[in-house]
Amino acid sequence: MSLNHELGVEALSEKYVDVPKSIILKLDLQRRGITFTDAAATETCTPYYRGPEVTAFSKKETTVRPLPGPILLRDGTSVLTGPHDSQFLRPYSIDHIDGKFYAIDNGERLDEVDFSPRPEFYGKLTSRGIPMESIAWSRPQRLDLYPYRYCHYWDTREQCKFCGFFTDLKTQKQLAGDSYAKVVHPEDLYETVREAIKEPGRFSQINLTAGTDYSGDVPFENEVERYIEVLQAIGRNFKTRRFPSQLIAPAYSKQQVKRLYDETGLSSYCPDIEVWDKELFKWICPGKEKWYGRDYWVKSALDAVEIFGKGNVYTNFVAGVEFAQPHGFTSIEQALDSNFEACEYFAKNGVVYLSIVWRPGRGTGLAGQQQPPLEYYVRLIRGLVEIRKHYGLASDNDDFKHCGNHGDSDLERLN
Amino acid sequence: MSKLPEELIALLNDTGSIKVIATIDGEGHPHVVVKGSLTTLDDETIVFAEGLEGSLSNKNLVRSIWFDKKVAINITKGLTSYQVKGRPYKYLITGRVFRQLLDRARERRGAEADIAGVWVITPEEVRNESPAVRSSLARDERGLFHSHLDLLRHSE
Repeated sequence: MSLNHELGVEALSEKYVDVPKSIILKLDLQRRGITFTDAAATETCTPYYRGPEVTAFSKKETTVRPLPGPILLRDGTSVLTGPHDSQFLRPYSIDHIDGKFYAIDNGERLDEVDFSPRPEFYGKLTSRGIPMESIAWSRPQRLDLYPYRYCHYWDTREQCKFCGFFTDLKTQKQLAGDSYAKVVHPEDLYETVREAIKEPGRFSQINLTAGTDYSGDVPFENEVERYIEVLQAIGRNFKTRRFPSQLIAPAYSKQQVKRLYDETGLSSYCPDIEVWDKELFKWICPGKEKWYGRDYWVKSALDAVEIFGKGNVYTNFVAGVEFAQPHGFTSIEQALDSNFEACEYFAKNGVVYLSIVWRPGRGTGLAGQQQPPLEYYVRLIRGLVEIRKHYGLASDNDDFKHCGNHGDSDLERLN
Repeated sequence: MSKLPEELIALLNDTGSIKVIATIDGEGHPHVVVKGSLTTLDDETIVFAEGLEGSLSNKNLVRSIWFDKKVAINITKGLTSYQVKGRPYKYLITGRVFRQLLDRARERRGAEADIAGVWVITPEEVRNESPAVRSSLARDERGLFHSHLDLLRHSE
C-alpha cells in the first residue's frame, strides 16, 4: 500500500491551513490511543475526575483503575479514545504537570488537555440496588445508555470484523451472562436518567445503543419492542414530548422506525452502514449482510428521513476499515472516492454520513492490521464537511460536544 | 500576562458595568456584542458565557481559537473604561467554571436561563480608555495644539 506515514500533527496543520490543529490532534489521539503517566493516572482518580468503578462492560470483580471521561481539548472538542492496553504503536502520553494535563508525543508537550469531570450520579444506586454508573456512562454533554448488552451477530461468528463491543477488548467473546446481565431493566434506566439530569447543565443529549438482537416473529421485533419500552420509561423524565436523543441501532423496516418515532420521544435515528463499498460491506459486516444486506441498510436510513426529518438521521462509518486486507483498498484516492460518493448519496437524501476513526483492536477480527495515515483522515473530514455543507446538513446530534468520535462534525462549528 | 489592574478587576466584577466583545468573521468583518456575563475569576484571565453555539459571535470565537486571531473587549462604567485585547484560550462545555457561570446566569436571568459554553480569554494588552486618562496622555504627547482655545482662556 502506497501510504505516506510520515506527516504528523504539526506538518499536517501547516499543509492543511484550513483544518485546525486541534482537530488533527484529535484524529491522531483516536488513531494512536493514549497512555497515562503515573502523575496523570493519580490525578484522574481524584474525586473531580474519577470514572465509574463498574461500567456496562465491566466484569463483576475488577481491580482495573477507573478511567476518566473523554478528553477535552482547549477548544471544547471532546475526544473519545483510551489506553486500549497499549495495543497500538506509539500511543500519546498524557501527563500531569503543574496542575494541568498535557498531551505528549515523543517527549514533546503538544497542548494542554483536560478530561470530562465525574458526573454527580456516579456512585449512586437505583431502587433495585444497581449502580447507576453501570447503567449510564457520561460524556461531556451526553448520557450513554446500553439497554441490551449482547450482540447476537457473535452467536454465529458473523459480527462486524472491526467490533469489540461487549467484549473485554482482548478476547473475541461476548461477556454478558458471565460478567453482567444482558438486559437492563427499564426502571433502572428511568431512575438513572432521572438522577443524572438533576445536575444543572451537565447533559444535553441521551444516546442509546446496544448489541443487535434480530429475534422476533418479524426480525428485530423484540429489539424494537425493547427500545420502545425503554424510551417510554426514559421519556417519563421530561416535560416535553420529544427529548434530545439518538438511537444507534440496526436497519429497521419503515414500519418499525415509525413506531419508534410515534410511540416514544426519540428525536434521531442512526443505522450505521460501517463501510460503503458493496463488497467490503459483505466481507466486513457479515451479520448485517445476512440481516438484510447493504441495500436494505441504505434504504432504511433514507426511509427514516421521511419520519424523523432531514438531518435527524445519521449513519456512521468506520473510517479506515476500507483499507483492511486482503480485500480492502490499496490507495488513499480509492478510499476517499468511495466515502465521498457515499456522503454525497446520503446527503442529497437528507442523511448525515459521519466518520469514526478505525482502531484495529486486539479483540476484533482485524487485530493488528495497518491503519491509514493521519493525512487520510484530514483529507477525509475536509471532503465530508464540504459535501454536507452543500446540502445544508448539520450534525448537531453528533457534534464536538455530544459525541467525541467525529472529526468531520467538529469542523462544522464554523458552518 | 500577569494580574489585571485593580481598577479593571473592579469593573469586571461590577454587574453594573457595560461589557462588550468584538470579534472578526472569516472575511475580517468586525462583530460587536454586549456580554453581561463577562468577568474574571482569577484576576488574570477573562471569562464569559456564550448563550448560543451557532451565534455569529461564537463562530468568530471558534475561528479565533482555531486560527490564532485576537478579540477585543471593552468594559465601561461611567467615565472609567478599559479595552483588553487577547486570544481565546479555552472553550468550556462542562466542569467547575462552566457550572459557576451557568449558576450566575440562572441567578440573574431566571431558572430557565441556559448557556452553551464558557470562553476563557487570555489578555495580551490592557489599555485604559477612560476619557480623562486618554486626554491627559494626549496633552502630554501632542502638546497644546489639539485643545480648543475656549478651554484655555481666563474665566471672566
